[in-house]
Amino acid sequence: MALNLFEPATVLHPGVPTGVTTRATQKTAEDDLLVARAKAGNEAALETLFRHFEAPVYTLARRLTRTPHDAEDVLQETFLEVLRSIGGFRGDGSFAGWIRRVAASKALMKLRQQASRVPEEELSAELADAVAADRDHGIAPIATAPERLDLEAALARLPDTARVVIWLHDVEGYSHDEIAAMAGKTASFSKSQLARAHARLREMLTPRLEGPCT
Amino acid sequence: MHLSLEDLLAVRDGGATGEAAGHAPSCPECTVEIERLRSVQRGLAALPEERPAQDLWPALRQELAARRQRHRWVLAGWAAACLAAAFTLVIGVRGGLEAWKEAKLARETRELVATSQRLEQRLRTYGGASRVVSGRTAGAIVQLEDRIAVVDAQLGRVGADRVHSQDVLELWQERVRLLDALVSVQTTRTAYVGL
Repeated sequence: MALNLFEPATVLHPGVPTGVTTRATQKTAEDDLLVARAKAGNEAALETLFRHFEAPVYTLARRLTRTPHDAEDVLQETFLEVLRSIGGFRGDGSFAGWIRRVAASKALMKLRQQASRVPEEELSAELADAVAADRDHGIAPIATAPERLDLEAALARLPDTARVVIWLHDVEGYSHDEIAAMAGKTASFSKSQLARAHARLREMLTPRLEGPCT
Repeated sequence: MHLSLEDLLAVRDGGATGEAAGHAPSCPECTVEIERLRSVQRGLAALPEERPAQDLWPALRQELAARRQRHRWVLAGWAAACLAAAFTLVIGVRGGLEAWKEAKLARETRELVATSQRLEQRLRTYGGASRVVSGRTAGAIVQLEDRIAVVDAQLGRVGADRVHSQDVLELWQERVRLLDALVSVQTTRTAYVGL
């Protein structure tokens, strides 16, 4: 069944504390200074912020969305949102936390738009093949650790919802309540999706990691 | 009996119920599972950062410049709209004020004309040619009637476009005042003759 799991839900506002601190979301004085200059319209400060957060935001988008192109769209939309809303960023939480939350929100929006067009199960298989192809041809810069590539391929093969929940919870550090609010679902739904994601990952990883030697 | 995957995750994340949290340490299989889940979590977190294939900043900078340009146009538009609104307001207020003043003049003039007609009506009741007056009273009456004639001449020269002007209003005020005086003189004379 094609997913329609991410209904329009919480609208994110600049300055809302996220409570997420797992991935480089600590507030720094340097960020504060840059944000203040960016708020004043300083283009150099905006570019510095972009350069500083380009990779983390793209990586987050890449993990949540289906294709590199989608992730680039999310990166661009995230920074356009930052340009629009930075004046309203109150600085209650870290700028990094805010921007990651905006990126997650944009990624969910992208998935919602796609959910009705392309069945995610089909696409996840295609994506996993694409990741595997990258690995086989040495295109991906991370092709030196086979078990890591397996995990990346397995992650890409997960259904959208399971992939989003496991990434937001296990890596980004969002609570089930926060994920539920973003996805317009309940915390129980988030918990069951997390369990589902781990079950699917185990299925996909076990033969490689623990299968019998031949 | 082992813990469910949801319970194992809850134990891993420190949010398990008392029963699940109590079971895990005493069950080697569940302990291994929890450690496996931690290992997957670490593996995911250790996936390297990625970068987009192309530099997106030039496009963003262009968008930023376009947005600033749009912002300037919007500001200019608002300024022009505010100016136009203020101008319209001033014209409107002035127009309204003038219309109100004109209506007031017209009403006051109409009232004076009516008063003037009432006074003339009263004067007619006193009679004219057969009246008996003292020389002094006759002089006063002639003087008043002459002045009324002068006012009437001035009123006769007023064009249609100035019927409700301040000058005309003042002429009618003067005419009413003179007629009033004339009525007073006539009233006094009649009373005297009556005696």
